[in-house]
Amino acid sequence: MSLFKEKSIFNEKFGAYFLIFLIVFLFCIFSVRLWYLQVYKASFFSQKAQDNLQRRQLIYAPRGLFLDRHGELLAVNEPSYSLAVIREDCPDIAATLDQISRWTHTPEDQIHDDFTRGRSMVRSFENQIIAANLSFDTLTRVETESPYWPGVKIVVQPRRRYLQGEVLSHVLGYVARASEEELLKDPELRLGDNVGKQGLEFALEKVLRGQKGLRQMEVDASGRILHEEVLDHPVPGQNIQLSVDLGIQQKAHELMEGKSGSVVVIDADAGQVLALVSAPGYDNNEFVFGISHQNWQDLLSNPHHPLQNRSIQSTYPPGSVFKLVMAGLAHNQPDIRVSERIFCSGSVTLGNRVFRCWKGHGWVDMTKSLVESCDSYYYQLGDRLGVDRISEFALNSGFGRPTGIDLPHERSGLIPTRDWKRQRFNDGWRGGDNFNLAIGQGFILVTPLQVARFVGAIANGGSLYKPSLLLDEKKVDPEPLPWSEASRNFVYQTMIETVKGDRGTARRLHKEGVIVGGKTGTSQVVGLLPQHLEDDPEAVDYWLRHHGWMAAFARKDDRTYSIVVLVEHGGSGSRAAGPVVRDLLDYLFDESHPFQ
Amino acid sequence: MVDRQLFLHINWSILAIVFLLFVAGVLNLYSASAFRIGDGTAITPFFSRQILWGGISVLAMVAAMLFDYRHLKNISWLIYLVVIACLITVLFWGRTISGAQRWLDLGFFNFQPSELAKIAVVLITSVFLSKINHPLGFRDIMKALCLVLIPAYLIASQPDLGSALLLVFVMAGMLVYHGIKKNTIKTIIFTMPLLVPLGWIFLKDYQKTRLLTFLNPGQDPLGSGYHVIQSQIAIGSGGFWGKGFMEGTQSQLRFLPEKHTDFAFSVFGEEWGFIGSIILLFLFCLFLYQIFLSSEESKDKFGAMLCVGVFFYFFWQVLINIGMVLGLMPVVGVPLPFVSYGGTSLLVNFIMIGLVLNVSMRRYMFKS
Repeated sequence: MSLFKEKSIFNEKFGAYFLIFLIVFLFCIFSVRLWYLQVYKASFFSQKAQDNLQRRQLIYAPRGLFLDRHGELLAVNEPSYSLAVIREDCPDIAATLDQISRWTHTPEDQIHDDFTRGRSMVRSFENQIIAANLSFDTLTRVETESPYWPGVKIVVQPRRRYLQGEVLSHVLGYVARASEEELLKDPELRLGDNVGKQGLEFALEKVLRGQKGLRQMEVDASGRILHEEVLDHPVPGQNIQLSVDLGIQQKAHELMEGKSGSVVVIDADAGQVLALVSAPGYDNNEFVFGISHQNWQDLLSNPHHPLQNRSIQSTYPPGSVFKLVMAGLAHNQPDIRVSERIFCSGSVTLGNRVFRCWKGHGWVDMTKSLVESCDSYYYQLGDRLGVDRISEFALNSGFGRPTGIDLPHERSGLIPTRDWKRQRFNDGWRGGDNFNLAIGQGFILVTPLQVARFVGAIANGGSLYKPSLLLDEKKVDPEPLPWSEASRNFVYQTMIETVKGDRGTARRLHKEGVIVGGKTGTSQVVGLLPQHLEDDPEAVDYWLRHHGWMAAFARKDDRTYSIVVLVEHGGSGSRAAGPVVRDLLDYLFDESHPFQ
Repeated sequence: MVDRQLFLHINWSILAIVFLLFVAGVLNLYSASAFRIGDGTAITPFFSRQILWGGISVLAMVAAMLFDYRHLKNISWLIYLVVIACLITVLFWGRTISGAQRWLDLGFFNFQPSELAKIAVVLITSVFLSKINHPLGFRDIMKALCLVLIPAYLIASQPDLGSALLLVFVMAGMLVYHGIKKNTIKTIIFTMPLLVPLGWIFLKDYQKTRLLTFLNPGQDPLGSGYHVIQSQIAIGSGGFWGKGFMEGTQSQLRFLPEKHTDFAFSVFGEEWGFIGSIILLFLFCLFLYQIFLSSEESKDKFGAMLCVGVFFYFFWQVLINIGMVLGLMPVVGVPLPFVSYGGTSLLVNFIMIGLVLNVSMRRYMFKS
């Protein structure tokens, strides 16, 4: 240190300490920082580095197809092209979105909104679908211009197509873009996915969807793929074979052209649904594309409610069809004899109310009451049996509760009881209510499917099946119809008589070589009309006309069908629904297409 | 001129440390120059050029050792003026590479006068301070600042803010080492805050963004914050043991920007981990310590100040570069000595070491 004498005029050591301090400072601050980054936060940064170079891409699983009972394709998947962005690869996201809006002719605000809403659901470096279902024109434009827009990708996704459109729209339902709510609820769903919203597409969503696969790619900073492997192979959705017979379905749909109503055809011995038609229908393909606002409004405001699946979602008074239940109940009573007769003068008076029959039948026994559908007989029965017994019996016969078919939003209908009436109207059950109930009017409501299941049970020996739409569905043991065999057989035979007899109301169903039984029904919309109008339904305003029912079974060899047709505002059952059943019978027993 | 005695007094530990640093740098550069294409690897030519520059630089270092450093006292002013002239020339006739006019085309290679300016400033400041035997007053500091601000301003207008700041910092370090009057220190501390907003006006837009980004790197993760974020990911993902030589995904897959120049340390940190980084850091500290020892051992004040100047020249670069790479400092284009790629910078580094060796080997040459 003595060597430094010459410059040690002031604190000579300060400089040396200063430099040593700087060296120590340098070492300390950086080793602490290095420890923090490389030891303390090492796993965090490793993950970041992994995220940088690994990108994952979903492989779409094809949705299960729908086939009819003979293997005819009903719903298929087609490739559809969507426009996606990888936001990390976009140098200018706002400009890119504006460009997409120009390509797809969608308002810029909407594209920006979709982007903002969806971005939290997409991981970094993953495709975010901005516009789905590109038209061919858009696709070619994008394909030529997209090289100038890094981060924009065309993604191929399978898209649903319903080959039969409105013929099967109420059975199949439709898929459409998953809503925000559905995306949040179901972690398997990704933005831009389609999910089942209605019908079997909705009910069988889990089975149809399959499982998406996952592809992992290693990329460099410019997004070039260096290496690719499939981590999970996609599992295709299960194909579904329906019990529906496309031929019958098409025929029924065709017969309901221009009408509102429902056709149900069930294989009575197995409970399998062969046709389930609701008219008018709608084209379910429109929903897959994203239905336009105009079309959606049109569907909603259509007075005939095309979206309604009338077979299971609409309820109607059964009218005289309910007399089948009444007759069954009466036949079961030890104190009521089949041969017992009452005189029908054309009306019955209760207190100061007059209950009319649609004609004067004269002396009527139980068989004739059913064959000729005499209201007076059933007014009298209703009075004797009372609401409690009637409603319990109807409930056990499958009314007033869902049939359990695999479709969403099935309605129960209504079998009124004393309690129900008190709750609903704060009023006691009256004698007149019994009269109305006995002829299937008033409060009682049923769905066409319930009627078809019931008629099937009459025809098949007393088994109330759960109507099944799937061909290979595991058979559930049917519920027994809690009728005595004699009562069931009586109703069965009387239904045949209704077709065979000269005065039978269902005589137009008569078909040579086939055992056909039937029962007509007319459910009043506004109470009984004056006689001259009853005879000429065309003279009445459409919305005031009665609904016409025809419930029938047909049997030949070992085939038994239960067929129910309801025509809304079609006038009487025989006139409105009869011809439809008649034509269906011709189709069903046409030897050129054997039943399987 | 070179006698046996002198040769024996060469500070071999400095040379050994520099050799290690250079080797580490070259290896690292080899890895940083490689990038994966498909399943193979390609090497850019940075690596071989750096070795060539290394050879030239060693020659320059030897040349800087041969003469007695005390002769520099007399020609420092000349060197200083020549450098100023070069800096002015480069502003008007220099070659422009990526937006900055820094290079003079000398025919066989491009030369950056701003690198020469660093030597000149170290020399001129040493001469200046060696003549002063009292703590520096306000006047002395203003004189010194005049000396540094002329080249600094010229360099800043190229624009090369990093080099310009480095000049000022090197001189500031030397002044503090020398000692400053207490009153003057107080004055400086109080006037500094006033100068900060003034400096903001002179910054270019991209420089302002860099500073703001440093304060909040997440604000613009794909823009100017990208460098810092990717650098920290690279270093952090290296973990304790590192990913291994040539195995760094951040650098090999080019997520790291500027990986062979300013961010070379990130590549090193990713591939050699905490262990490697600490060793490299330790080597730098040892290196600085050796320079410090040389200054302590020097016989005259000019020699001591020369060593201190070189000390600060390296100290600031290490501090700023590693600080930036670790996300502790804003992004300023300052290379890491011996590790970052850069011919002129390597040359100047070796000349600086040559000067330190020159001083240290002649420590017994004259009697006290």
